[in-house]
Amino acid sequence: MNGWTGRCLRVNLSKKDFHIEDVSPSLMERFLGGRGLGVKMLSEEINPQVDPLSAENKIIFVSGPLVGTGAVTGASCNVVTKSALSGTIACAKLRGHFGAELKFAGFDMIIIEDKADSPVILSVLDDKISIQPALEYWGRTTSEAEKLFKAGLGDKWAGRETYLLSVGPAGEKEIPLANVINDGFLSVGGAGIGAVMGSKNLKALAVRGSHSLTVADGDRFVQAVTTLINKLNSAPLTSRSMSTLGSAFFADRCHQKAILPFENFKAPTLSESKHIETETLPRLFALRSRACFACPIACIKKADVMGPLFKGKGMAPTFLAIGALGLNCGIRDLTTIAMANVICGEMGLDPLAAGGTVATAMELVEKGNASKEDLKLEFRFGEGDDLLQALTLMATKKGHAKRIGKGGQALAVEYGQPKRFMGVKGIPMAPFDPRAIQGMGLHFATSNYGPQHLYAYTFIDEVLHVHEELDPLSTEGKPELVKQYQDMTAVMDSLGLCNWPLMGLKFKNFVPMINSCLGTEYRAEDLLRIGERIWNQERCFNMEAGFDHTHDVLPERFVKEPLLEGPAQGHTSKVEEMLPVYYRLRGWNEGGAPLPGTLDALEL
Amino acid sequence: MPRIKIDHTKCTGCRHCEIACSLNHVAGVANPRRARIRVFREGSTYFPTIAGPFVDAACTSKNDLVIGDQTYNMCLICRASCPEKPFFIEAETGFPLKCDFCGIPPSPSCVRWCNSGALELVEDD
Repeated sequence: MNGWTGRCLRVNLSKKDFHIEDVSPSLMERFLGGRGLGVKMLSEEINPQVDPLSAENKIIFVSGPLVGTGAVTGASCNVVTKSALSGTIACAKLRGHFGAELKFAGFDMIIIEDKADSPVILSVLDDKISIQPALEYWGRTTSEAEKLFKAGLGDKWAGRETYLLSVGPAGEKEIPLANVINDGFLSVGGAGIGAVMGSKNLKALAVRGSHSLTVADGDRFVQAVTTLINKLNSAPLTSRSMSTLGSAFFADRCHQKAILPFENFKAPTLSESKHIETETLPRLFALRSRACFACPIACIKKADVMGPLFKGKGMAPTFLAIGALGLNCGIRDLTTIAMANVICGEMGLDPLAAGGTVATAMELVEKGNASKEDLKLEFRFGEGDDLLQALTLMATKKGHAKRIGKGGQALAVEYGQPKRFMGVKGIPMAPFDPRAIQGMGLHFATSNYGPQHLYAYTFIDEVLHVHEELDPLSTEGKPELVKQYQDMTAVMDSLGLCNWPLMGLKFKNFVPMINSCLGTEYRAEDLLRIGERIWNQERCFNMEAGFDHTHDVLPERFVKEPLLEGPAQGHTSKVEEMLPVYYRLRGWNEGGAPLPGTLDALEL
Repeated sequence: MPRIKIDHTKCTGCRHCEIACSLNHVAGVANPRRARIRVFREGSTYFPTIAGPFVDAACTSKNDLVIGDQTYNMCLICRASCPEKPFFIEAETGFPLKCDFCGIPPSPSCVRWCNSGALELVEDD
């Protein structure tokens, strides 16, 4: 089999046993692998209404067929489960080297069932599979756990080739804002997955192996990869902007278009207050570029972070950190943002979910809905110390931070102010103001994973103008654009590719690489069709879990309160206008449910 | 004579060179353990290391390597595979691997896929 290993490891944590299964080739053909395959397996194996933190929920770690073969940016591993934060399906995109090493260890996916009665670590090291007790790891931060595990291997060389995925103290305490961390990289979209892993008492997964992956047509594949590397090198965004600053460079572009949030997305803001000097990042942190497996872009920046709470190496602020942990909490100091991001990484919190929750708390306090005494913590917009303290306490569930640990929506509802929570389906908004970027707004409302930008990055065309020059304020053609990007992202996630190369390449440029690797004859349209199938499969899961069109709405603020100044002055989100068009395009009824004909045509 | 110059400060640790090497030596097979170039990580630094001659005994002249204010284990950048360092040995046959400057001239396959500039082909006379 080309690309795929065709093997799946199924582990039952309560019985402490495991067995190896073959993955059905027809499933792989219809869902590709990665996210698609994970979503399909989860839909078949669990009841969508199950409590996410119960033993019945399962976690699937699944790599795409292109991961590890040397395909450009083929590194992504997905973690699929039912989210503890939103109750929808959740799929985290893991960066780094874990996904590739999982393939070299001989598996496409690992399915975790049931829960262990005490903390364990699952390791697949050179074909030796073991479920070992992990009491001494419990309570440790992600980097400590990694160091301890590697030291315990005894062999200094083996440690270098072992990759670990773990949850931090936040996940262990089943805080719904918890994420999974691998190799110091924060996963994207992992809010609520850390808690599920914690509820199963699974501290970490370790993989290493020496299995070979095969490629259908080696010569053609090498040629195709070389072409793509050269193309990425000649595109300005992927060769320069991303390579020097990482995703932080979006902040400046977004600022020009008034897309950045400020103080929980409040409308009347001075544009100067949002300016953040991302160009000073290299000077502040001595940035070092790090790449995921087989990635020529190397957008991840490592930095030396020095602060009162933490001294050491961590991730430099990404766009998500700047927006969600920084500006949305009114904080512009890059050192504070970097600290907050590092705390998230060490504690295993999701920066998007944690930032959104803190911003909600800050607004509740500012508006007098909740008092400092209620929350037992200071929550003031723009105060870095408040943010850092809240994050640390939230993750350890210490003091009186239990309340905020439940997430922004639960907090806002508790104080009778659900409108003060800026998010959809329980997940806080990614740092894009939907009033100033209509396409992203529609995606945020309709996304199966809540308002997270990396599941349809229409920003590429709406603001960066890579393939098309679209006006972010217009609604024209946006439902089509959103659908196209949602399907495209589903395909790329399922194959195991990253989304960033779309800033330098067209989707069709990938097709020769995909076909020469897998030995298939896909056309770009065929792949997009598979993407649509995956999107509908996820939608069906969410419908069964109790989500429908009433959940496809943006917070009232974006629809009712126009922006008061700047390039998007007077604009609100026109999501209600675009939604019926989007449903029609998708072949769904007014209730947002896929029509029987649509599902038949997609062979679901 | 062309040679490969390694600048470890530029390496991003993507390991694309390992796969390039593997694909080029065994048609259509991707496996870092079969590569004749490996990227070793020490702290936050990556050291791309190209396989040199095999030695069947551990050496006695091991020194610490000092770059700037950091001290590294010399074994890391030693190109030999030896009983102390289980790299550059083909798993199935136990056969030692050595760089043969493969690929389409003028660039060896690892250099061609290295986008960070860590591997570079230079003329050395």
